[in-house]
Amino acid sequence: MVKVADIERALEPTWCPGCGNFNMWKALKEVLEESGMGFEDYAMVWGIGCHGNGADFYRSQGFHGLHGRALPVATGIALSNPELKVIVSMGDGDGYGIGGNHFIHSVRRNIDMMAIYHNNQIYGLTTGQASPTSDQFMKTPSTPGGVVEEPVNPVGVAIAQGATFVARGFAGDVDHLKSLYRQALDHHGFSLVDVYQPCVTWNKINTFKWFRDRVYKLEELDDYDSSDRTMAFETSMSTFHELTCAPDECKIPIGVFYREEESFTYQDGLPQLDRPMWKHAEKPRDISEILKEY
Amino acid sequence: MPLPQKGSELRVKIGGAAGLGIKAAGQTLARAFVNAGLEVFDLTEYPSLIRGGHNTYTLRVSPRPISSHVETVDVLIAFDRQTVDKHLDEVIDGGAVIFDPEVTSTDGWLPSRRVRPVPVPLKKFAKEAGGPIMANTVALGAALGLVHFPLDTLAESIAAQFAHKAEEITEQNIAAATVGHGYVSKMAGDFWMKVEGLPDAPRRVLVDGNEAVGLGALAAGIGFYAAYPMTPASSLLHFMAAHERDAGVVVKHTEDELAAMNMVAGAAFTGARSMCATSGGGFALMTEAFGMAGVSESAVVVGVFTRPGPATGMPTWTEQSDLRYVIHAGQGEFPRVVLAPGDQTDAFDLSWKAFNLADQLQTPVIILGDSYLSDNRQSVPYFDLDTVTVDRGKLVSEGDVSDHPDALGEHGDYLRYKVTFDGVSLRVLPGVKGATQLVNSYEHDEYGWGQNGEIAAERTAQNEKRMRKLELARTLVPPPAVFGADTAEADVAVLFFGTTKGPVLEAMRWLEPDGVKVAAMQVVTVWPFPAEEVRQFLGAAKRTVIVEGNYTGQLQGLVREQCLVDTDDTLHRYDGRPFSPEMVYAKLKEVADNG
Repeated sequence: MVKVADIERALEPTWCPGCGNFNMWKALKEVLEESGMGFEDYAMVWGIGCHGNGADFYRSQGFHGLHGRALPVATGIALSNPELKVIVSMGDGDGYGIGGNHFIHSVRRNIDMMAIYHNNQIYGLTTGQASPTSDQFMKTPSTPGGVVEEPVNPVGVAIAQGATFVARGFAGDVDHLKSLYRQALDHHGFSLVDVYQPCVTWNKINTFKWFRDRVYKLEELDDYDSSDRTMAFETSMSTFHELTCAPDECKIPIGVFYREEESFTYQDGLPQLDRPMWKHAEKPRDISEILKEY
Repeated sequence: MPLPQKGSELRVKIGGAAGLGIKAAGQTLARAFVNAGLEVFDLTEYPSLIRGGHNTYTLRVSPRPISSHVETVDVLIAFDRQTVDKHLDEVIDGGAVIFDPEVTSTDGWLPSRRVRPVPVPLKKFAKEAGGPIMANTVALGAALGLVHFPLDTLAESIAAQFAHKAEEITEQNIAAATVGHGYVSKMAGDFWMKVEGLPDAPRRVLVDGNEAVGLGALAAGIGFYAAYPMTPASSLLHFMAAHERDAGVVVKHTEDELAAMNMVAGAAFTGARSMCATSGGGFALMTEAFGMAGVSESAVVVGVFTRPGPATGMPTWTEQSDLRYVIHAGQGEFPRVVLAPGDQTDAFDLSWKAFNLADQLQTPVIILGDSYLSDNRQSVPYFDLDTVTVDRGKLVSEGDVSDHPDALGEHGDYLRYKVTFDGVSLRVLPGVKGATQLVNSYEHDEYGWGQNGEIAAERTAQNEKRMRKLELARTLVPPPAVFGADTAEADVAVLFFGTTKGPVLEAMRWLEPDGVKVAAMQVVTVWPFPAEEVRQFLGAAKRTVIVEGNYTGQLQGLVREQCLVDTDDTLHRYDGRPFSPEMVYAKLKEVADNG
């Protein structure tokens, strides 16, 4: 069983002091320790960005892929070794921008894996350009006149696309985030956790304080039903916030938006995935029967 | 020109609109001849659409080995007037045209002193047999009747074609073929051409190139295949998907080619033998992840089956213009192997070998084909399954990493990228006890940590380690194949790669009676380039020529760059059509005569 200290037998984090990634790192390490898994039981995959630098900060069976392409790498792992739990980390530009196509299709496939999005609403590693989740009208080096587009609503898109587990966390609340990670890890199917993770260097608007003034927890609502897809979708729409919105005008829900307990995963549709697929290559496959057709 | 003597072989061309089932009908006919012990080679030409347009299927049948299509036709089956207008010139003097007088008017081409018209009420017979869709089956029967070939092997091959459909369909089609056969046997029983089976001939395999690659991949133990449809690679996706459950392969039709290549890298990480395939445009989308496979030392196999470019180009036609592209694709430098099969036998062999090379070298291996290979079927000797081997190289898939002290660093940590003499590190799969590692698209240190890859000494060590694998590759890859006369004694030496093999070998057979001695070399492994062998081959020759299907002379460029020599002459084609043996014959003869 992995221990936090074993996971930390890696490189020293290089994130900016105060970066939201630190709390996400802490939450995931602790949940992995609690899970009872050994290093050989799971694989971790990262895209490129500040989140992806985290690949150096976890000891794991890891694959640090390309910008935007963490999900297909993770899919290849999940669909070739059913014994590995797959945990994918991505950023907002990485996962919702350049990798947006994979996001939509991974959701609808319901591949049994856990996807964590480090959503800081900015491009951190490339010095502060607007990201797909930057607020409309936000001024950045690539949008000096302000962002023109509506931000991507990843929670809403995922719900609309048939996701079976959609949650949002806030890096400022580690205990809550850990509870989301735990549930996501246990979920049978594609579990998406979008995490607001303030960038202390480049995003001077959506700060820890900005979020603390606005977030509320869905599980604390008496009438929120996370098995109601329509309610989940409507709730996701309430989170489109404009730059100027006051704390009392726009509240940001965090927690589990939607969950489908008994879902049919992509792996469930692959009876041939009954073992790690490398086992088919221990010796030449006998194709004499197949060859007879030709 | 000493073409195969008239009547020594049969060339049938079927033409009509897309959607008539011309290719399927033609393939049924091909199967019938193969079952009768004959050799076949087919060529399908079609525009990129589903209905209408003009499709042709050409079948060459011979009792002797053949290795390509030819330009001439003995029997033309015209399902429409367009077929007559476009292809009557290809019919040899004394050849025949089978057509339905109700469909195809005779104005302007009949009466003919050159060809024998064989009018058959194809539609009427088809309707009587069960439906107008069976007109092509009536025509197959008619063609066999014309050349005095018995119907039984066609009936067998019809039964095989419709095995998964209702029995009634098979019966109706056999009835349709029978009526066509009987009608023409009576009407044109005096036709001069006679085709006979070879009942004692050894069993042959009839496959297209994609099927041959797919069979090779299955034999190699492939566990994961991902692809996005793209002509001419799509049929390999269909092949793999058709066998995903009986063979045990996870096959994924992905959202795009980027996903395909990245998934394949992910599957390689878990140790599955994994492959994707596409054409040039799809490979452009895969290229970044192809480079990732290089730096992350992922054992992946990539099929690139080319067509004329750039961009969308000519989707259903053929060209060899991506040789330089696949050799160089990707930013940065990393080792790769590129294998270029010339025919179905090569395709099967190089496919399973590609998986061994990928594992032995822990780097991407490309199988470079083209439409001429992917789309066309050829009868070849039964694949020798006993020769297939699985060599996974330095791989540990089970147990505990501590049993492999050579692969461990400080604190007993497994070093995925340990610097070794031959550049290949011990690959320990996830799931093995202690196999924590970071497979990385960033430059990295021996463990895989990305930050440390920025240290100059680490970068240099890892870069050199990877590139050393190219030297190891030279000792493992298939050497060039040589055919024909000794180079020194040849009147002309011809160098080529890939599917030019068929037309070259065919032309060489035709040159024998002319007394022209030809030496040929097929560059089987185009990367790493076999510079020494090619230099010796060309250096020993009197006259040299390169035949390649592109405009700029990409193979010739490689020869100049890698061997510091040049050839006397070249033959290029870049109109979307494959080389014909007639073209190659004329060129070789010209070069030999000029010598």
